[in-house]
Parts: sequence; C-alpha cells; structure tokens
Amino acid sequence: MSTSLLAPCRTRLSFRIGQTVVRTYAAKNEAVGDPKKEIIRKTLYPNNIRSRPTPTGTWRPDVGRALQFAIPSVQAHNTIERAWLLHKRHIRKMREAELGRKFESMRTAMEELRRVDDRLYMEANKQEDPRARIGAERELAKQLKTTEIRTLEARIRGLFPRELRVPTDTPSHSGWNYEWKPFPRPL
Amino acid sequence: MLALSRLRGPSTALLRRANATLQPSTPAPDIPPPPPAKAKPSPAPAAQEITSDASDSKTQGRRRRRTPIPPKRPGISLAKPREWNRPIGRGVIPAYDLALEVILRDSKYLTHEADALRSEVNALEDKVVELGGWGSERAKEVEAEMEKKREKLKIVEVQSQVNFPDVRWKVDNAMADMTNPVHRHLVEQKWRNDGDLDLLMERLHQMHVIPDVLPDLRPTIDVHVVAHTTIKERLASKKVHTTVEPGTFLLPDQALKKLGYLYLLNNSNQSDVPDEENQSFRTYLHWLKPNIPLSATTQRRIHLDGHTPYIPPHPQQGTSYHRYVLLLLPQPPLGDMTYPLNAEARAEPGVPTSKTLDIPPVEPVERADFDVRAFVQRWGLDTVPGGGAHMWREEWNQRVSKIYRNVLKEPEPRYGRPPKEDPYLEYKQKKRYI
Repeated sequence: MSTSLLAPCRTRLSFRIGQTVVRTYAAKNEAVGDPKKEIIRKTLYPNNIRSRPTPTGTWRPDVGRALQFAIPSVQAHNTIERAWLLHKRHIRKMREAELGRKFESMRTAMEELRRVDDRLYMEANKQEDPRARIGAERELAKQLKTTEIRTLEARIRGLFPRELRVPTDTPSHSGWNYEWKPFPRPL
Repeated sequence: MLALSRLRGPSTALLRRANATLQPSTPAPDIPPPPPAKAKPSPAPAAQEITSDASDSKTQGRRRRRTPIPPKRPGISLAKPREWNRPIGRGVIPAYDLALEVILRDSKYLTHEADALRSEVNALEDKVVELGGWGSERAKEVEAEMEKKREKLKIVEVQSQVNFPDVRWKVDNAMADMTNPVHRHLVEQKWRNDGDLDLLMERLHQMHVIPDVLPDLRPTIDVHVVAHTTIKERLASKKVHTTVEPGTFLLPDQALKKLGYLYLLNNSNQSDVPDEENQSFRTYLHWLKPNIPLSATTQRRIHLDGHTPYIPPHPQQGTSYHRYVLLLLPQPPLGDMTYPLNAEARAEPGVPTSKTLDIPPVEPVERADFDVRAFVQRWGLDTVPGGGAHMWREEWNQRVSKIYRNVLKEPEPRYGRPPKEDPYLEYKQKKRYI
C-alpha cells in the first residue's frame, strides 16, 4: 500500500534509531598528557562503546528520554497549548478592541472639529515631517557647528534614538566614561 | 539518515574500550586460556547425542528478545467505550491545571453567549411566523438576519466545547457522537487536516479523474469504499472486508457484489473503456442510484438496489488498468439556491430537504458511452458546493472472463496493438529459385 506524501503526521517516529558508524576522531579530547600521543592512541584504539550522541548529531539516543521528561503526556501538552493560545487570543482581542475604541473616539473628535471649525480641522490634519527642525531647534542650529547639528538631528520625533546601543554582557575595554554629558536639546 | 545495523559478534565484554589510555580505569580481566581440545569424536546414534550435546556445548541457544513486547491496549470504539481520565495527576504539571481553568472559564462565557444568541434566534422565529411564515416576502429580511445569527450561534457553540480535553479525546478514539455538533466539527477537521482528504484529492488529480470525469470536485462528504478481502489478506488479518485506499488496485473478484453499507454510493462509472471507432476511451456507467436519503446521523443500512442494476467492473484483456470512480452527488435543495441553516434547523427526521429527481434507469445501450458532465448538468447536480468521491483501479484477470460469460452474456473482447505489417509477406509466398 502506498502512502501519500501529504500525510507525514501518519507516520510514527520512533526514538530508537539504529547504531551508525561513529566518527570518534571528531570527539573532544579530554585526556591529560601529550595531545599528539593521545591522538595517535585514539586513532589506533578507537572508542568502541557507542552509547553517546555523535558529535555532528547524526545519532542522538538521548533525545527520546529528554522529550519524555519535557512532554510526559501529549494530551496534556496539547491542552496546555490550546489554553495558552486561547489566553493570547483574549489578550489580543482586548487590545484590538481598546485600540479600536481609541481610534473611534479620535475619529468622532475630528468629525466634531470639522463641524465646528474648518481651519483648525485642516491644521489638525497636517502631516508633520518628524525630521524637520521646529522653533527653538532652528534658533539653536544657527549657532552650532556642523558636527553638532548632526548630533541635534540624530533623534527623530517618534522614532528610537540613533544612539541606542544593544546591551552587552560585559563592559567595554575602554572603561566607563564618567565625563560624559548629554547634548543640550531645547525640546 | 542511513541507519546501518551493526552485526553483534561474539561477546565483546573483554574488548570494550572507552577513551583508551595507558592505564585503563578498570583493569581488564585476564583472558582465560582456551579449553583443551576433545580427545575423540563420539560416534554414538544421533538422537540421544544431540540432546546431550545441546546441554554440554556452549552455543548461544535460542535468541530471545531482550525486552518483551509490551502488551497492546484493548481497542476503544463506540462498541467498547471507555471514560476519559486526566492524563496526569493534580499538581504534577501546574500549567495543566491552569490550562483547564482557563478553558473552563472561556467555555462558561461562551455558553452564556450561545444561550443569549439562541433566545434571540427564537425571538426572530416568532417574528417570522407573525409576518407570514417561511418563504414569504415580508419575512425575507428577518430570515436573512436569523441566518446570520444562526451561523454565529453555530461557531460559538462549537468553540465553547472544542477545547475540552475529554471531547477531543473522545473524537480521537473513535467515540464521536454525530448528533453532537462539536464532535461533528472535530471529525470534519480531522478528515480535512490529518491527511485523508488530501490523499483522496491527490489520487483523484494524479489519476486525472478530475478533468476526465468531472471538471471540478470539492468533496464535503467522507466516502469510504469497503471491498471483500483477497485470500492473502484474509489469511493475514482474518477479516472478510477491508477499506479501500483511494487509487489503489483491487482484483475483479473483490468488487463482484455491491455491499449496501453506510457509505453511500450514487454513481459508479469507469473511465477507460476502449472505443475502437474513435481510437479513444469512453466512460461506462456501472451503477446509479438517485434520491438516497442521507444525514449525518444515518445509521441503518440503506437499500441501494432498485434503480440501475449493478454491473461489476470488467476491465478488458489487453488494456492497461481501468479507473473506477464513485461519486456521491448532492441533489439541489428544495426552494433555495443553497442549503441555509434555517432549513437545517427546521428539518424533521425522515423528511428530505432536497428535490427528488425522477431520473429514469439507464438503459444498457446508454451505459457504454455515458457522459457524466451532461448528466450532471441536465439534473442540476453541482459538484462544486459539495459531495463525495472515491476511486480505485483494476486490471484484467480470469474472473473478468467469467463476468462476461455470466453477467454480461457477451463474447469477451480482447484488445491489443494491431499486428505489425510484414513487408516481405508477398515475397515469402513467391518461389525463390526458378
């Protein structure tokens, strides 16, 4: 009987995989002593107890046991998965509903403004360029050097700051800069 | 990944090496000296000596399994039902207990919503009755609104129970109750998602049944075909009947008689009858039965004779395999263009909601070149909204000759390629040496 290629869930995967030829020369060399001699010894007398996973993962006899510890019951796992997705769905729907309400209230407010004053409505509907300099920034820019102007323009309204750095595990080699002062911004 | 099985030679306990170093961690036991060679061979009679030799000699003996085969659980089905139990105890996995709480809470909320919707639907029903009954002009808008509410009610009802582990377990273990809409939904999901429908469609398309017999087919009914087992299968499994996988080969012996089972057949035709005049192939109609009353809860065997008599498949000798297609076509609904949920709610057991079609029995002459497309178009049987299909294949064997002799009562045709023209025929008949 032929099986369809489209039904992989029908095949049962077993955790027991047959023993394969293990490339033991690729394993880590933990023995103390002259490494050259150890390598020669390992090549002449290779390890023939094939019970640990292969270095490249072609044979992993430990996976079955690990999976059994992680997911002792498939039914329980599916129930938990469904409950979690259900919970996420509730949260998502609540957020979407709240966003929808906010949008709706904004829209009715704008409708009201349009009804009341046309000019203010047009002003409120104007799209602003987040990179443009406004008011106090323009005054300040006249007195700054080119590099300082670049620093001023680095932060765009509504966007993450350009100086944002990914947190690292360890501090930098140059050390902590105690003399650092933030750039004076008028806004 | 290729798994090579290592041949286990004689016991290698003495030769095991793990990270070989100069000083082994566990000193290897001394290898015992070989046993002394036997002085004289024993020429005693065979029977007695064999038994004594068996006990004395150091053979491996009968090799037995290291781990015994674990006993199989008794099968669960509707005939032998069992109750659901929690898969793990309370407190073993706290996430599981929390998950059950979440699911229960959600179910209560949805049940409440479903009850509210149901009362709204009932109110609309009364309104329809007030406005003049079903199908009347004034009640059309209300009916449309009620249809929408019923659709939502169906979804909410199903979702309120579909996450319960015991419901899912029941359906997974062949104990689905088809009167329960949640079970029906889960059974349909399994059919669609777990590969059965995919397999059927793959076979239908691969064997080109879909363009040859019908232009398009979207099954909504799971059709199972049951056939007699072959002798080999019967010996192996001790079963008389077997479910046919779509697209596989059957013997002509297996489809001799029609079994009137639950799995309903409306139209069985064969696509590859050779047609000598046109040098092509035609469709042969083997069997037809219209107006079969069918619902999700139909249990009894349905009488399938009485219309066009069943002629068993008889693939001709000399032809390649023949394809046999079984089509279950839904008949058009009474009144409306589609089957609305309102009609489903109002339906009574035993009263059909589809039109009864007066299809005349097909004559033997008409069977030979049966146009399925024309037939479907004439009677308004649309395959795109739904229906069911199945197919299998057969090849000629000795049984087909018997079918021709006993059932069809015709001389059996034998097809083959036309014989190759012999260019030297005339020359061969003349005298060569004068």
